[in-house]
Amino acid sequence: MSEALVAVETPGAAVPGVSGAGQFWRRLRAQRAAMVAAGVVALLVLVALAAPLLTALEGQDPNTYHSSLVDSARGGVPIGSLGGISGDHWLGVEPQTGRDLFARLVYGARVSLGVALAATIVQVLIGVVVGVSAALGSRWVDQLLSRFTDVIVALPLMIMSLALLAIVPSSFPRPVLVALVIGLIGWGTIAKIVRAQTLTLKQLDHVAAARLSGWGTWRIARRELLPGIAAPIITYAALLVPSNISAEAALSFLGVGVKPPTPSWGQMLTAADVWYQAAPQYLLLPAGALFLTVLALTVLGDGVRTALDPRAASRLRVGTGRKREAKA
Amino acid sequence: MTGFLLRRVLGAVVTLLAISVIVYVVFYVTPGNVAQITCGPRCSPEQVDQVAQQLRLDDPLYVRYWHFLEGLVAGQDYSTGTSVEHCSAPCLGLSYQSDQQVTQLILNKLPVSLSLVFGAMVLWLILGVGTGVLSAWRRGRLSERLLTGVTLAGVATPVFVIGLVLMIVVCGQLQLLPFPQYVNLTDDPEQWAWNLLLPWLSLALIEAAAFARLTRASMLETLADDHIRTFRAYGVGERSVIGRHALRGALAPVIALNANNFGSAVGGAVLTETLFGLPGIGQELVHAVNVVDLPVVVGMVLVIGFFVVLANAVADVLYAVADRRVVLA
Amino acid sequence: MRQPSVIARRVAAASVSLVLAAGAAACGPEDNDAKSSGGDSTPHKGGTLTVLNSEPQTDFDPARLYTSGGGNVPSLVFRTLTTRNRESGAAGAKVVPDLATDTGRPNKDATVWTYTLKKGLKYEDGTAITSADIKYGIERSFAPELSGGAPYLRDWLVGAADYQGPYKDKGGLDAIETPDDRTIVFHLNKPEGEFPFLATQTQFAPVPKAKDTGTKYEEHPVSSGPYKVVKNENDGETVLLERNTHWSASTDAERKAYPDKIDVRSGLDASVINQRLSASQGADSAAVTTDTNLGPAELAKVTGDKELAARVGTGHFGYTNYIAFNPTVKPFNNVKVRQAISYAIDRSSVVNAAGGSSLAEAATTFLPNQKSFGYEPYDLFPAGDSGNAAKAKELLKEAGYPNGLTVTLTHNNAQNFKTSPEIATAIQDALKKAGITVKLQGLEDNNYSDTVHNVKTEPGFFLSAWGADWPSGGPFLAPIFDGRQIVKDGANFNSGLLNDKSVNAEIDAINKLTDLDAAAKRWGALDKKIGEQALTVPLFHPVYKRLVGKDIKNVVISDWTGVLDISQVAVK
Repeated sequence: MSEALVAVETPGAAVPGVSGAGQFWRRLRAQRAAMVAAGVVALLVLVALAAPLLTALEGQDPNTYHSSLVDSARGGVPIGSLGGISGDHWLGVEPQTGRDLFARLVYGARVSLGVALAATIVQVLIGVVVGVSAALGSRWVDQLLSRFTDVIVALPLMIMSLALLAIVPSSFPRPVLVALVIGLIGWGTIAKIVRAQTLTLKQLDHVAAARLSGWGTWRIARRELLPGIAAPIITYAALLVPSNISAEAALSFLGVGVKPPTPSWGQMLTAADVWYQAAPQYLLLPAGALFLTVLALTVLGDGVRTALDPRAASRLRVGTGRKREAKA
Repeated sequence: MTGFLLRRVLGAVVTLLAISVIVYVVFYVTPGNVAQITCGPRCSPEQVDQVAQQLRLDDPLYVRYWHFLEGLVAGQDYSTGTSVEHCSAPCLGLSYQSDQQVTQLILNKLPVSLSLVFGAMVLWLILGVGTGVLSAWRRGRLSERLLTGVTLAGVATPVFVIGLVLMIVVCGQLQLLPFPQYVNLTDDPEQWAWNLLLPWLSLALIEAAAFARLTRASMLETLADDHIRTFRAYGVGERSVIGRHALRGALAPVIALNANNFGSAVGGAVLTETLFGLPGIGQELVHAVNVVDLPVVVGMVLVIGFFVVLANAVADVLYAVADRRVVLA
Repeated sequence: MRQPSVIARRVAAASVSLVLAAGAAACGPEDNDAKSSGGDSTPHKGGTLTVLNSEPQTDFDPARLYTSGGGNVPSLVFRTLTTRNRESGAAGAKVVPDLATDTGRPNKDATVWTYTLKKGLKYEDGTAITSADIKYGIERSFAPELSGGAPYLRDWLVGAADYQGPYKDKGGLDAIETPDDRTIVFHLNKPEGEFPFLATQTQFAPVPKAKDTGTKYEEHPVSSGPYKVVKNENDGETVLLERNTHWSASTDAERKAYPDKIDVRSGLDASVINQRLSASQGADSAAVTTDTNLGPAELAKVTGDKELAARVGTGHFGYTNYIAFNPTVKPFNNVKVRQAISYAIDRSSVVNAAGGSSLAEAATTFLPNQKSFGYEPYDLFPAGDSGNAAKAKELLKEAGYPNGLTVTLTHNNAQNFKTSPEIATAIQDALKKAGITVKLQGLEDNNYSDTVHNVKTEPGFFLSAWGADWPSGGPFLAPIFDGRQIVKDGANFNSGLLNDKSVNAEIDAINKLTDLDAAAKRWGALDKKIGEQALTVPLFHPVYKRLVGKDIKNVVISDWTGVLDISQVAVK
């Protein structure tokens, strides 16, 4: 990673004599908001990883029914104030089933964060490969890949997900499948960004120099271009993670998300929205968790980008691949 | 210019054809006995066979696709049982479920989706670009943080939550607006707008964040440019710098993103349409997917694809206007 | 089997009712006194009734609709030979004459049924309705172009099995005779004492041959009822009905037809429908829904609000949700395993998952708990409220599974509160106590129907549900347990693959009876007898709770449909 970070410095912006990684950390640490956000993200990941431990501490698990804790005659609304919050059930219980909400929330973090991150990685990988290949390849390769990207962008995500999720046999692990489907369908925009950025970088002096000195395409891509597209990718990925969490929720809403009894935030939100009046905390808990995650990721993403390249950071644009003059 | 247009149109046609092939293949392998679904759960095997024959479901995939292309170019005749009707080119076939011409179905649904997306687009541009400009201007201050939080809440909350809560509060409890129910623009423009206000807002809140982030980033970049420094050095007011010069620099990427989002929202606002009961493309499409109504699915996906391609082409032209350095090539 | 209504939870687009016309509608105030004390409760003519629905009124063609008792909205336009009695409660489960002068005159062994039309019956254009039009209406329901509807006509009429409808087969159906304009005679291939029930379905509505436009007929079907179709947009998305001036109340004792207009709006989200009915603003104050129940979350809110609670109606429709076993799949071939699961089931958590005790009643019988079905209470494998794990373990031991066993439960992924994930997870949790580990196999809606209703792919253990085509034991038990109704190469509903000679013989014997009360008793006894084989575990019967707008009057809910009868409602 450090190599990439050194090279990201555009000509004139680098401070000679200081290692790139060191600079990066120094700049990142200087931003208080980003550090707080990093802490929150780390905490969320920790909670997700330690879910079994945390629920054991509470003495609950996410799938056990507690029929006695809900009022059957009233549709199964939790008995007690604030949705049945008690020493046994720290955040109350789920309406109808009486399952422990704290346990479902922390276990849900595993699925939601896992699916969203995995989908983002798939999107970024495909997007970078397709985008860079299109920008560096011959005219025909570019035409073909760009057309293909157009097709992917033009296919409605939800619809294709519905169809794809119905095709794959139900024995395939569902969270992996959901991540794959979201990832495989949603890489179009990032491919476009990468292609546009690569085209811009291609014309920069140091890249041109590398070309003239006879470097291979692969080496140029790895040494000169990848660092230059890292910043926009990180920025965009920070927005992709939350939108992927939302996509998982939307698939749950359409009935093709992660399978029960596995909890996910998306599934909780889907089930909870009608309970907004009768059992508000049921909706507010996953909604709050999701909001916190999105906020933290965005602030952190901003921070990382600024630290990577304070001046060039914001240059990157969501373009359609038109040749633009490099302003650096 | 002519060369550019020609290439664009050709590219669009190729893209749309590729989309139709993908949809055909994907739905060919999707589980679900189409004839049984169309006929009804209690149909006998013989009846199901008759229906399958009627819908040409027994033909191999390439024959069915060829038939589809034929209909597009030459139209097709079909029987209602009592008479023979003609579906004129470009004919996208008949719905398995309702026997309606898909072209007609699209013409009925499209105004709803376009109404939704156009209105929402105006709002998301105002909200998104507005907060983007404000947060670039107030960078690092409390007000910027608040704005960022609000727009991100939009990204973080699925539309079915925002929409339902908005409806319960605004329509149910405060009774400020009627519960949305689509009214044709041509029938009553005022009611059209009032009824669509909440759907517009819900959809816009979700899209606004991306515009806010993008605008902010682009503005910050432009603000750091030398020519802006020069303006400032010459004592040009901050408002003028922000409003005239920096914003202008931020326009191009916003246009590009907008084209992207507009196109995909025409059919992608599925959840918004479903929640608010707007009989648009997205809602119809999800229904068609569920009952494996292939002609409707293909037709609708093509229309959506058409709008995505169109929106991108319009963006390219606007892009060139906004940024004169770009040459349409 | 007709699917009942949409439950007010997000079924969204994910689950699509295959059924074309939900005859099911809603509810009536639980407490009629509370309303009448407020002012004038006598219904008056006039006004516009708004219908807020989730599913569009698709295929508005009498040949294609699949209804129980003629449906709700369709029954306003299509009159049939007989119809359901429009009264609340058990009286509403009776069949009464509609176009005909009586409910039908059978020959001695109930294989020939004769009907005479009332005098002075007219279509919306003033022309007379003849018996030939009814014959033609039934014939066109056989056309593959107009698929849909229930299977009974094809199964029962002589020589109808291969008939392809009047478009391809100009000869017509010989099984239906029309000796004169007012007489129609049906020849059946076996005794069917319940024929009068079948004659309530929309296929028995008259269709004038000259006005038949094939698949386009649904855009403007010719009315024989109190309302005619003025507008039908996008296959039933928006339907506007106005008075049919040629309809005469003197020939129709059943339909009250108070409102002047009926405005059907559909494609709405279930929770939005309930929000609108509860807010009752503007036109919504004169609104009802014919397909959307209150969901558990809404019930929790409504029960806390007196004004709203007074606007909730409760009804029962003949419907059973159950676990089905396929006894050809191990280990369910062992009756002890099936019994063990029957004992282990925790009905209180299943009921909660289905919406709680106000929306579901625990079931121990396959037949719905209503007299018209011949309901005879029994509980052959008493599991109590929360399951008898000890007894279940004991049976498992006897069956050769002393250390418990692992099984796969197949369910539908659609969130329909019937065969859905919520119910499956509740069962999974309950069986754990008895040492049975349940793996869940969720299938998408279409895939689920294909898989469980096909003898070649049918899983051993899955969630299922069955609804009444009319309130009697016949259409409830025969498709599920009659060995001759096992379909090898198509949609099969006899999931237990039961082909028991004594059961088949008893079904034939009961079908001969034209005394429906006597038949009901024997259906009840047969249900208990079949229950001993533990081929199903009955779980619950749903209860329908529905809101109506605040200006709605004269709410009638029969046990036939379980929902408010739209032909009786007044808005003034």
